[in-house]
Amino acid sequence: MKYKKNKNFLGLVATFLILSCSSQITVLDPNIPKPVIASSNLSAAIKYPDNFEDFSHEEQIIGEDKWQIKLGGSNKILFNKLFSSIFNDFIILDKDSALESTIDILIEPEIEAFEFSVPKQSQTNAFAVWIRYRIKIYDNQGKTIANWPISAYGKSETGTFSDNNDLGHAAILAMRDAAALIILQIEKSSILK
Amino acid sequence: MIMKERLKIISLLISNTITVPLLLLTLLSACVTARIEDNRLGITGLNDGEGIVIMAKSYHLGNETENKFISCVSRNMRDGASGLRIISNQEFVDSLFPWFEPRTAPANMQSLPLLMNRPEVASIIKNNGIRYIIWVDGNTDSTGGGGNLSCAVGPGGAGCFGFAWWSDDAKYEASVWDLSDFSEDGNVTADYSGTSFLPAVIIPIPFIARTQNRACQGLSEQLKLFIVG
Repeated sequence: MKYKKNKNFLGLVATFLILSCSSQITVLDPNIPKPVIASSNLSAAIKYPDNFEDFSHEEQIIGEDKWQIKLGGSNKILFNKLFSSIFNDFIILDKDSALESTIDILIEPEIEAFEFSVPKQSQTNAFAVWIRYRIKIYDNQGKTIANWPISAYGKSETGTFSDNNDLGHAAILAMRDAAALIILQIEKSSILK
Repeated sequence: MIMKERLKIISLLISNTITVPLLLLTLLSACVTARIEDNRLGITGLNDGEGIVIMAKSYHLGNETENKFISCVSRNMRDGASGLRIISNQEFVDSLFPWFEPRTAPANMQSLPLLMNRPEVASIIKNNGIRYIIWVDGNTDSTGGGGNLSCAVGPGGAGCFGFAWWSDDAKYEASVWDLSDFSEDGNVTADYSGTSFLPAVIIPIPFIARTQNRACQGLSEQLKLFIVG
């Protein structure tokens, strides 16, 4: 009984030590504003990969804390808001469902890379986040009509006492940057024409 | 009578607790040297209902203007007897998403008409009565420091001894864009530098040069004058 109590106590101490050496940030909703763009009458569908439901990135910085950033379903919220503003007729498809013939285009986003830097690493007073997405767009015959790498960047300055939420803010700025880049790419392409 | 005396003493104490630190703060402020210049290219003015947005130039262009500096300039231009109508820059950026994001915001006057050709953008700017965008570039940097200060704690007490100093340089440039005729009306530059001192004989006494704050006040006042004369 005494051994069990000690074990519990040691477990608590170990948990406290691990938690005190790591920083965890969660981004729930990037709160992307409605884009100011003319919407298209094309019908579009989107298919999300599994990690869009609960995206998480963990990094151990040499000689520093362990950082974990949980984007959860925020990427999904971002793309739903973005593409539903671009296309009047927009639906979300399950991973395994087939493309309906009434749909003009199918969008498949993907997160290829996620990186960040904290003030101690960059010797600045800013957190920075880089997210590389890949956006693939197919026509209703399954032919690829776009395959774009989207390299987004967000930077959030912090005060003397750095706040972990600033890393979350930098991630949101990177997601806003991605949305801006996607709009620019779509406008430049012939997809809406 | 005793009660009155007590109240008098309490009010004296309260006034002293406020006055003494304020007096100390004024006396203990270190010196800041300042230079403000403006370069006028066009005629400015603000009609009823027209407003201004203060924006930091994009970090994609290597700019590092602090958010708190933008907030300070916005607040100073809004407040006071001759306060102007300042629109929150976050509200402005959100209402025109994604056209004023760090990547997409117009970097020069030549790209502004292209953006204003979008009917939705032009309509939002017109409906909100936005007449000027002021783009702020620059930042406050630490330019050096030195000295030696050490503190010690012992059974008999604690104390510090030594002298330390550091310098800050605040350099900002604000460009005024007139959205009514897509022209650059000019710019205002502020160059402030200050040195802070920290001498310590048992107790450290800081003489802080509030360089960035002074640059904010100077730039805001000059911008007010620049726009409404």
